[in-house]
Amino acid sequence: MSKEKVGLNRRRFLKTAAQAGVCLALPQIIPATALGQNGRVPPSERIRLGAIGIGNRGRYVLSCFLLQPDLQCVAVCDVRGDNRQRAKDQVDKANGNTDCDTYIDFRELLAREDIDAVLIATGPNWHATAATMAAKAGKDVYCEKPCTKNIAQSLQLADVFRRTGRVFQAGTQRRSLPNFAYAIELARTGKLGRLETVHAHPGGLGTKMSGWLPAEALPPRETGDWDMYLGPAAWRPYNLRTLRDGFNFEKGGGLVGGGCLEWGSHCVDLCQLANDADSTAAVEYEPVNGQLHARYANGVKLVMRNDGWLPNMGSCPVRFEGDTGWVETGDNADIEASSDSLLIRKGIKIPGYPADLHVRNFLDCTKTRALTRANADAACWAHITCHAANVALFLDRKVKYDPKKNEFIGDEQANRLRSEALREPWRI
Amino acid sequence: MIFKKPTIFWCVVVCMAAASAVTFTQAQAAEAWQESDLIAVLQSNAEKGEKAITCKRLAIYGTDRCVPVVAPLLADMELSSWARITLEAIPGPVADAALRDAMGKVKGRLLVGVINSIAVRRDGRAVDPLIKTLGDPDEAVASAAAVALGHLGGEPAGTALTRALANAPTGVRSAVAQGCILCAEGFMANRETAKAIALYDAVRQADVPVQRHLEALRGVILARGDAGLPLLVEQLRSQDKKRLSIGLRTARELGGQKVTEALADELAQLSPDRRPLLLLALSDRTDSAVLPTILTAAGTGSKDVRLTAINILVRLGNVSCMPVLLEAATGTDAELSRAAIESIIRMADKAVDTDVVARLKNAQGKQQRVLVEVAGQRQISEAVPAVVSSLKSTDVDTRATAVRAIGIIGQAPQAGDLVALLQTTRNASERAGIRTALQAICGRYGVTCLPLLQPLIKSRDNDLQVIGLSALAIIGGPDALGAVKSAIANGDASVQDEAVRILSTWPNSWPDDSEAGKALLALASSDGKMSHQVLGLRGYLQYVRGSKALSNEQKVTEVEALLTHIKRPEETRQAIAVLGESPCASALDRLTALTTDASVAEEAYSAMVVVSARNVRGISADRRRQVLQTVIEKSKNDGTKQRARRALRDVQ
Repeated sequence: MSKEKVGLNRRRFLKTAAQAGVCLALPQIIPATALGQNGRVPPSERIRLGAIGIGNRGRYVLSCFLLQPDLQCVAVCDVRGDNRQRAKDQVDKANGNTDCDTYIDFRELLAREDIDAVLIATGPNWHATAATMAAKAGKDVYCEKPCTKNIAQSLQLADVFRRTGRVFQAGTQRRSLPNFAYAIELARTGKLGRLETVHAHPGGLGTKMSGWLPAEALPPRETGDWDMYLGPAAWRPYNLRTLRDGFNFEKGGGLVGGGCLEWGSHCVDLCQLANDADSTAAVEYEPVNGQLHARYANGVKLVMRNDGWLPNMGSCPVRFEGDTGWVETGDNADIEASSDSLLIRKGIKIPGYPADLHVRNFLDCTKTRALTRANADAACWAHITCHAANVALFLDRKVKYDPKKNEFIGDEQANRLRSEALREPWRI
Repeated sequence: MIFKKPTIFWCVVVCMAAASAVTFTQAQAAEAWQESDLIAVLQSNAEKGEKAITCKRLAIYGTDRCVPVVAPLLADMELSSWARITLEAIPGPVADAALRDAMGKVKGRLLVGVINSIAVRRDGRAVDPLIKTLGDPDEAVASAAAVALGHLGGEPAGTALTRALANAPTGVRSAVAQGCILCAEGFMANRETAKAIALYDAVRQADVPVQRHLEALRGVILARGDAGLPLLVEQLRSQDKKRLSIGLRTARELGGQKVTEALADELAQLSPDRRPLLLLALSDRTDSAVLPTILTAAGTGSKDVRLTAINILVRLGNVSCMPVLLEAATGTDAELSRAAIESIIRMADKAVDTDVVARLKNAQGKQQRVLVEVAGQRQISEAVPAVVSSLKSTDVDTRATAVRAIGIIGQAPQAGDLVALLQTTRNASERAGIRTALQAICGRYGVTCLPLLQPLIKSRDNDLQVIGLSALAIIGGPDALGAVKSAIANGDASVQDEAVRILSTWPNSWPDDSEAGKALLALASSDGKMSHQVLGLRGYLQYVRGSKALSNEQKVTEVEALLTHIKRPEETRQAIAVLGESPCASALDRLTALTTDASVAEEAYSAMVVVSARNVRGISADRRRQVLQTVIEKSKNDGTKQRARRALRDVQ
């Protein structure tokens, strides 16, 4: 990325952020001037970032961080040498020097006292473990989704961030996009009447597990640190395919695997927010004809389905239905509703699910210490709903979940799927 | 032998091997696995990969029976983590005992894993061995023991951890502090507050990393309750950013109205740059003292504080906030005013609607404008009469705001109000606003509005006629179309132009209206103004393109007839586009003929590829091949040629 391009992007970001601040259902609560965002920010006042696990997605989110005037990235870490070098090049170009430090082992990065916050974009296998270790090391954390591998990790994530007082933002950036925020506001403020059903596109409902491929010769640690790649996942021999599996490796863990976590960690998360359910999970889950139907204690039904969406909505669509109206939106940022009058305040359209506004919200919260839009509690419960749905899919039957006790009701097999041992020496 | 027949056993092993030899595999249904089969795999000479996956399955389907078979794997460097997946999941004392037993058998990293699993299982009988392990020379092992003791909790664990805070090596002390804090949380859960406070205070005084101090600070403030307030305030005033940070977080968690009131008092003492931060923290509290504090801040103080408070009221505000917000909304500071209006618009409290309607009755000046805008944006239908009254205001800004609001909440009769207002103003900007609002109402109420538009259609003011026609285009139907046709036939030149433009786009909104097709064809084949003819051609082609009543062959016939009237390549290209979307033999014939016209030949070739690429009844494969071959030979466009080659390959 050239400096010119960074400049252009930064201008675009500032313009978008300004428009969003005016038009969105997401106003910036504290004036930008009070947070020191305007103008040049002296290095001593910048938030110092370390980036961990920087593959394709990581470099994209990192680019959103690098747009921010009050941020300086000082270190990157990846178990793969190629990713590490690309990330360093990206940061050095943005900083106009060659000072960005590189690490293979993220614990060395976390040990640096001059780093305030970390971006974690490893594969999902590492997310919860690395995020909680970062919090215990005193760092604020922006963590890509899915953030946890099972129900127990979801609860531990919320616990650790509460205990440490650190700021957490899940990489569910659709919470910071105006079309989704607007649709959610319609649902939450009664504009659709009494909310009855929320629909989420899970991006697949198949349950999968990561396996054990034949052993191959270990590469040099500088090229690929296999032990650190495996991290909390149970041991298996080195295999290049597994190393390149990145995002899918041990996603969801256990026998249950990815399932609805792919987009569910976005779309189910949005449904939770629309249903004012950031502090709870659905209580019943049932696979029904290729869909997953769930129900919340307040009676609202959650439908996870891969088809039947309005045309041209783009990826990750959601739909909220009340007794007097409905609204549907997706990644193309169009919003359709049962009545035009519902759309009069829909604001600007930002298609393509960019993460820069979400990153901005995270950085603001590192200063105000307020809860981020996708804070650890909200992420915890959205993930629990996804994990519980995956358990129902895996067992291929209806399961009931008690969000107060955090256990499946009268279901030993389901309860055993709530957690999975981490490989030594890792713990949360 | 567990399997009665060896073949069954080996079938299981082979199936497992197949399942584990791929990176991802569809998970097996729950009923597929029997514990006895899985134990047999572990007891066999199966490959480690198979045994690993078997351990995962036993985590779901295993019982105490499998524990003696799984436990030996805890000492296996490669399978230990898999074995713990099983043992961590199986409930009951047998698995607990197996893990405790392993504490004396494994060392180093494997021992860390075993201790971590004991912690997850909260095995109370492991406290004593864990206390002994606190002194292990392997710092990783000692650290794991410290954290495990924290999870297990209780007085012996707390005492041991407190002692270790002073004695443990530097590399272990952070974990010991973690253990203390976890242990303290356990005491808090059991309402043993004094014990929790003692542990937190011990950590605060220990030589441990800053983050542990901050966690202990938070913990002790929360544990002390109201008595923790002075310590909380101390953090909020601290020059140390980390202490301020933990203070702001804890200010959200320490419950009670008394705390809120104390923090509200502190608001005035803090430096100006910190006030918005504390205000935001206060807004996350839930007692009844919060709103008055926020409301006070919204009305007084620095601009940053006021803006923050006003923005918070979107979430927390109710009808009681109306006076303060209205004052800000009608004030001279534009930023505060806009924020306050947004807050009033977005507050969820339904009582705000009633309040707005009541205030509108006597509102004047800027307050009237604000309330009218709010009435529109909140879609308060009860406010319609008051907003209609505002249409008569002598102030042009108030009228404009009222027009916008009527556009949102007006019903059919308000079309008449807007028509009446139109006739009283010649201001172009005001007329444009009314036009938009009128169209919105016509869109909602359709033909009901038709009679109300008559004064515009019959007006001698051309601009008003044009506005009337544009509203008719929104309504559609035979009466509206008749009025548009009449305007084309009889109107003034400028009205005719607008009527023709409206007619030419009619098929976009009303594609099934065949009468519009006829009118457009008449226009296209007329000898009138060139611009009218062009718009007629385009409109008719649009009509043909979208018509569901016409077959593809009929569409081609219509286009052929129209081609005789087309004089410019621009319209010919549009005709070609219609032919390309009407796949039939006659379309191919016509397109082939059009390739002789150099100005549109490439568009024709491109459309020929589109038609020939499809297997359509009436067009033989030979014909398709011949057409595509022609395109490949004659087109000058590489992209078109490429598509033709691809299509040719696909033709059977």
